[in-house]
Amino acid sequence: MSEPIATPNFIGMLLECQQDALDAVASGEKSVEQLRLELLGSKSELSKLTKQIRFVPAVDRAQAGTVVNQVKQTILQALAARGSTQSPKTALSFDPTMPGITPPEGHLHIVTQAIEEITRIFERISFTRSRHPEVDWDWYAFGALNMPENHPARDEWETFFINTTNSQITNKQISNKKRIVLTPHTSNGQVREMEKGRLPIRMINIAKCYRRQIDVSHTPMFHQFEGLYIDHNVSISHLKGVLDYFAMQFFGASRKTRIRPFHFQFTEPSFEVDVTCGVCNGRGCKLCKEGWLELGGSGMVHPVVLKNCGVDPAKYTGFAFGWGVERCYMMKAGTQLDDIRLLYSNDVRFLEQF
Amino acid sequence: MNILIPDSWLRDFLKTKATPKDIQRCVSLCGPSVERINKVENDFVYDVEITTNRVDAYSVYGFAREAAAILPEFGYAARLLPFPLKELHPKVPALDIKITDHSSSTNRVLAIKLENVTLAPSPKWLTERLEKVGQRPLNNIIDITNYVMWETGHPAHAFDYDRLREKHIIIREAKQGEKLVTLDGKKYTLRGGEVLFDDGTGTIIDLPGVMGTLNTIVTNETKNVLLFIENTNPAKIRYASMGLSIRTQAATINEKGPDPTLAYTTIRRAIDLTCELTHGRIGSKLYDHYIHKPTIHTVSVSGDQLSLYLGTEIKPHRVITILKRLGFSVTSRYSVRPPTWRAQDIKIPEDVIEEVARIYGYHNIQTKLPQGEPPVVLPDPQLAWEQEIKVRLRDWGFTELYTYSMISQKLMDIFGLDPKKAYKISNPLSEEWVYMRPHLFPSVLAAVEQNLHVRDSLKLFELSIVYRFRPNDLPQETPSLIVVWTGEKFREAKGIAEALFQLFGVPVPLSTESDKQGLKVYTDQHLSYGSFGSVGVVHPELLAKMNIHTPVTRVYLDIFELVKHANPIRKYVPIAKYPPIIEDLSFIVPEGFQVGPLIEVLSRVHKLIESITFLDAYENKRTFRVTYSDPTKTLTGMDIAPIRQKLIEYAGEKFGAMVVTAK
Repeated sequence: MSEPIATPNFIGMLLECQQDALDAVASGEKSVEQLRLELLGSKSELSKLTKQIRFVPAVDRAQAGTVVNQVKQTILQALAARGSTQSPKTALSFDPTMPGITPPEGHLHIVTQAIEEITRIFERISFTRSRHPEVDWDWYAFGALNMPENHPARDEWETFFINTTNSQITNKQISNKKRIVLTPHTSNGQVREMEKGRLPIRMINIAKCYRRQIDVSHTPMFHQFEGLYIDHNVSISHLKGVLDYFAMQFFGASRKTRIRPFHFQFTEPSFEVDVTCGVCNGRGCKLCKEGWLELGGSGMVHPVVLKNCGVDPAKYTGFAFGWGVERCYMMKAGTQLDDIRLLYSNDVRFLEQF
Repeated sequence: MNILIPDSWLRDFLKTKATPKDIQRCVSLCGPSVERINKVENDFVYDVEITTNRVDAYSVYGFAREAAAILPEFGYAARLLPFPLKELHPKVPALDIKITDHSSSTNRVLAIKLENVTLAPSPKWLTERLEKVGQRPLNNIIDITNYVMWETGHPAHAFDYDRLREKHIIIREAKQGEKLVTLDGKKYTLRGGEVLFDDGTGTIIDLPGVMGTLNTIVTNETKNVLLFIENTNPAKIRYASMGLSIRTQAATINEKGPDPTLAYTTIRRAIDLTCELTHGRIGSKLYDHYIHKPTIHTVSVSGDQLSLYLGTEIKPHRVITILKRLGFSVTSRYSVRPPTWRAQDIKIPEDVIEEVARIYGYHNIQTKLPQGEPPVVLPDPQLAWEQEIKVRLRDWGFTELYTYSMISQKLMDIFGLDPKKAYKISNPLSEEWVYMRPHLFPSVLAAVEQNLHVRDSLKLFELSIVYRFRPNDLPQETPSLIVVWTGEKFREAKGIAEALFQLFGVPVPLSTESDKQGLKVYTDQHLSYGSFGSVGVVHPELLAKMNIHTPVTRVYLDIFELVKHANPIRKYVPIAKYPPIIEDLSFIVPEGFQVGPLIEVLSRVHKLIESITFLDAYENKRTFRVTYSDPTKTLTGMDIAPIRQKLIEYAGEKFGAMVVTAK
């Protein structure tokens, strides 16, 4: 056909086409899929008509186009309506045992999950997460924390140092600020938080730490979370309260903590914190020491540290603790994770399990 | 530092009915931690962790003293027994060895000559005890010096008296380059500054406090012995021991400053044992030069301060009982003087508070949550944004990586990263971990390579800090994001980036600049977002260097930059009252056609066009969806016909796109 078509005729043909289509849908003789092909496919009546739109007088073409669209929408709606009310006779029978179509499945790393959980737990008692450097001056990692140069206590940290013979860093800088270290703990965050000069403080600093160690329970990079509470009249009671609160929230309502004497240069008194073993519930088993697992260190902030950070020890006291994120996660009951190195293996077969 | 303490040996000094289990439980709560009890033959051996500040407890006697102070708090009677020392025979000549101190580091020197010793293996009871603490028995003289060290906590040394030919000991600091041979036959060159003994001829005859030298130690021929104890400045011991890497038990103790007063007990005990076990007899008076007595600090602690720390009040008589049981003297409430063995450990009120609190029992302290007013803190928005991005990526089907922050020289080279603009670790643990990464991509791509051995298709991401170089300063720790796919996924990558820009309320930055890194990271299929990052298909040459032979697409975004520009506030737009008209337009497009400019231009053709979106591309056909709407009325076909006409004309004129049909 190459003759011009009068607009009313064309619209008439369209409406006829629409009626035929609706009848076909209503008859229910054919499946929705088949109908869709026959009524809307490239060989359908509607498709043929659509191609003839160019023979409609130019002024009416747009209007004709709109009608074409309306017809198409009407047919689509009819198909959709039938599709939802009755099953086509020829379709496969409903099989509820067919596997579901799953949404995309991704995985957050265990460390991210643990950090988020820890952050939320402390947030509920007004400890706000802040972020402090992971690569820092010796002063923040050691000096201000009451560990002067050559102090034997530094041995315990297995610290990585940054090569400052690099020509980019001048000697003057080194003598001013001393060496750069990869923080072996998150306690530099204590110093930096106190230096801000805003009291009281309830802080959680969660960051990467680095130590020269690798075995089933150590990786050269790991994460710690550091809690710091500075206020008037902070006592060991408050530390115990926060520890119990955390253990209950993170490990479970039945888990308890205890503190034992220990020694750190930056706290006085210092404590080792234990939590009851989740496997034996504190009765004692192969995995624990007489029912207890070591969580990490804590203590009352040493007055020298307070002074170094510009806080008056006569007016303020405080406590701090710093524990491994991975270690805490692995101590949760039921994880059965026995090698911390797995966490940094980056093997998707491991990562996809969480 | 751990120490093994046999129960049988402990009970030489500790009189109590408490069982080993009781001792373990009680002492661990209030003092050194008894980590384990090992059954050895008919004995129990405690494995005890002593903290580095408590060298006074690092011996059988020291542990007994702690136990005697702690057990009564738990209702077990306990008494510390004194050392059974014999009287020193006074009718002997003075020591005929001259001792000259040029070091200014010596606190105390004790020495005595013991004659006519018979070198032989030690008796069974002694060798058994040494074995239980992990010390190998050698001969009676050496064993005695070791035995008294484990028992009392102060190291001691025995010279062969006759091998000290010059009869002179000069205590002095080493000059750089001086050499010595230790008793185990190893040669050392000194750095200078180590404290050593010189016999007056320049020959080094001992590395005191650390290890004896081969030329003066006892041998099988030894007849006369010089028992010797020097108590030296701990920093000097540490300097020698660390500098030369000689980590003996003696050095471990001496670098922590054992009590010089204790040294006297130690040598007396060694004298008694030598006479008893080697048939030796005292050959000289006991030489005792006490140069520096430890400074004992009198510490004042108020009852208020004590109550503040403990969160509860302890009755004064209880405080005084606790401190006295630890050997402290207390006058008034509370002026406290520690015993000599705690001189360097007890200096400030907090030190005394710790003593009272731990013996009182941390388990007896009440548990309370913080009572002060919570601080008002604005949280760091960076942290919440990072979590949000991670959660989105997880829900979009990506798996999160945590790769090490340190990368190898090899990775630096492959990615063309300048080592001068990176922080290098001076004492790396392995070649794999040398530079603090200035970029995330190398480690992520390495993880892709690793996982391609087990999976064909990967969707991974990491959001971590990178360490950007700043001259003369700490690195700028910048959170950055890498998302990777296997396959050519340019449009998916662009989609992720745009979704994240949308999340942050940041308009998608259009940048024509190409990849700024010297290295070609991408093929031509890439897009830069300026300082915010870029997306694209990774260049196969780079992949080949990483041993990856399948296409990889990545998104790189600087999260710090995104957070800086974030504007998450959404402006409310009233919901349209009248239904829109939606229609699709397809065009046949010429070679080199780009959809972006067409959408941009056509969208502005008429105010009734609400949006034009790209729908589909097939060969040279591009389909777009046009939405028309009018806030004031319901549109009819007649309203939009002229607009459509205009769209079709513009597409043809400006972009050479010929309309196909309304689909």
